[in-house]
Amino acid sequence: MFDDPLLLARLQFAFTAATHYMFVALTLGLAPYILTAQLRAALSGDRERMSAVRFWGGLYLVNYGMGVLSGLVMELQLALNWSGLQEMYGYSFGAPLALETMTAFFIESTFLGLWIFGWERMGRWAHLACFAVVTATAYLSAWWVLVSNGFLRNPVGFEMEDGVAHLTDPAALLANPAATMAFGHVVTGSLLVGAAVVIATSAHHLRRGNDPQRMFSRGMGYGALVMCLVPIPVAAFGGVQFQLFGQDPPTSGQTYTAAEIEAVEAAGSGIHPAVGATADILMMGLWSLMFFLGPLLLLGLLAARFSGRVRAVRWPLYPLAALPFLPYLASVAGWVFRETSRQPWTVVHHLTTADAVTPMSPAAAAVSFGLFTAAFAGLAATTWWLLVRFARRGPGGGPLAEHRDDAPEQDPARVPAL
Amino acid sequence: MLDVLSSLLLVLFVVGYLVLAGADVGLGMLMPRVARGPGQRRRVVAAIAPYFLATEVWLVALVGVLAGMFPSVEHHVVERLWPVLPALAAGLLVRDAGLWLRSRVPGAAWAALWDGAVVAGSWTLALSWGWILAALIAGDAGATLFTVPCALTVAALFALRGAAFGAERLVGESDAESADVAARDTRRIAAAALAGCLVTAAAAVPVAGVGPAALLPAVLLAACLAATAGLSGPMLSRHTSAVAIAVPGVLVAVAGGLPVAPIPEATAVLVWSVLTPAIPVMLIGQVWLYRMTRRPSPAPGFFA
Repeated sequence: MFDDPLLLARLQFAFTAATHYMFVALTLGLAPYILTAQLRAALSGDRERMSAVRFWGGLYLVNYGMGVLSGLVMELQLALNWSGLQEMYGYSFGAPLALETMTAFFIESTFLGLWIFGWERMGRWAHLACFAVVTATAYLSAWWVLVSNGFLRNPVGFEMEDGVAHLTDPAALLANPAATMAFGHVVTGSLLVGAAVVIATSAHHLRRGNDPQRMFSRGMGYGALVMCLVPIPVAAFGGVQFQLFGQDPPTSGQTYTAAEIEAVEAAGSGIHPAVGATADILMMGLWSLMFFLGPLLLLGLLAARFSGRVRAVRWPLYPLAALPFLPYLASVAGWVFRETSRQPWTVVHHLTTADAVTPMSPAAAAVSFGLFTAAFAGLAATTWWLLVRFARRGPGGGPLAEHRDDAPEQDPARVPAL
Repeated sequence: MLDVLSSLLLVLFVVGYLVLAGADVGLGMLMPRVARGPGQRRRVVAAIAPYFLATEVWLVALVGVLAGMFPSVEHHVVERLWPVLPALAAGLLVRDAGLWLRSRVPGAAWAALWDGAVVAGSWTLALSWGWILAALIAGDAGATLFTVPCALTVAALFALRGAAFGAERLVGESDAESADVAARDTRRIAAAALAGCLVTAAAAVPVAGVGPAALLPAVLLAACLAATAGLSGPMLSRHTSAVAIAVPGVLVAVAGGLPVAPIPEATAVLVWSVLTPAIPVMLIGQVWLYRMTRRPSPAPGFFA
């Protein structure tokens, strides 16, 4: 089984993309919360409030680092392992990716650098503006990536010329419902991921009676509100897409005839329907669960607030530590469902996955798969461990905290030169 | 018109990446030489950190432009360079993991582990780039009398850029020593790179792909290296190392024989109409970050 380059390339991409998405979802989910917190801190000019921004911002950065690493590898992998896709669809599928790298990621990473190094070097409004740019470009980045991904699902706006797809209608590419609906779904799902992480972290500290400047009470309030309101659009944007899954893309027939398409689909389903169905059930079950958890959480918070018995009743805070698993699992299951339901196509009705993969030797595919999967597993595990560690430590010990005296090597003057 | 602009954009991203990232990758290569002890290593990482966030985006943009506007060039590159590109990705992964993780856990062993990753990743990156540029100029990824010295010379140009960057950035009370070592090294590395250039040039004469168009950049490269090695030393190395490392990128463009195809109009118009309003923001961010972090912060920060 593991001497098939196609299978290895697909598994490698699935692992890379799933890992990447875990970090992306938290980036998208936390950015608006941090931006709002920083805006309020800047308005009040309150140094203590800024320490909450530094705390959530520290988690954001630890998470962002791994998001960038996995994104870099994913981009190179797309070029290396999927040359058939790039060759035929570079001008249509690749164009939004080119725009993502230049107009979104380029700016996002540079302005995040300004934000990281600007705490003491710029005024509070300039510093806030930097994070506003980071937030906007993070969402812009998701948008461009989903335009590319939506094209695979529902290829529109091109004509084939000599075996290469030439874009004819950029507006159709940008307004592709497979992209716009997916963007709505991903953005709202990510807000839930962010809210779940904020709730889990806040619950941990509230349980211990640790609530400096009420930052964790505010976190619980924000999280409960998002958990109440956002599952509705998540389900709506997701549900609309089911309609699309059954339809033929408008460009169907340009590459293969209807009979050929039927033959390809009859030959190449394999285990995908089973995997897709499992992912579908998991995703549906988890999102439905979250539908009920939000109101429950809000009621609990209100009851605790008005009854004044916050300190007496702490046990409901324990299970909240596991809350992030729900939206994370639901998101990854959603992606598995979306991507397997497209099989055996990479570009629906135009390019099969078997034709999209770069012809490579089994040995090369196995080495590349083994190397990057192991590296990813190690780095992802390290990042999760660090995230949990910093979340538990609270605002005093985060990577962006103002004063650090935990490491002797932090002070070069104290270390004798060897 | 848009075709020419797009080709220039591609060359700009290649040259921009080499010149800017050359500084942080090169300094990472030289870390064992210029930094003695944990305190100096921390300062070296503190000099690299603000740069790498803003320089590797040039590489990402380069890959994006290749994918969206030059798929035939991308195909050409991937086809010829399959084993090198995973090595490049691995180098990038290891180096960046080192930078992101080194300050997350206090303790000398943890920092030493990730400093090692920064050094190993930086060398892998520089040597991979050497191999890539050599293979693109020669049109062949195999180890030949041309590609091996050419790859090593490019790696030396990365180190030279890093030494010049270190000589400029590592000044300060606690680590003037590091800056001095880096400054002295600019001369030695430039001399070694010049020798590498001569060997490469001697091997290039029989290679059919290198024509008169390559002559001017090659002479410019040799002149920059000769000036840094002998006459001016570290004083002008900030500029000469930048010109020197740009030359291999330009050589690929003029002598690499890349299969550039005309870009379909709708794609070119889409890309340029979205890109144009973003260009000022891209430039402001880059210039602002370089200027703001000219003096490394003495206080411990996120990366070091």
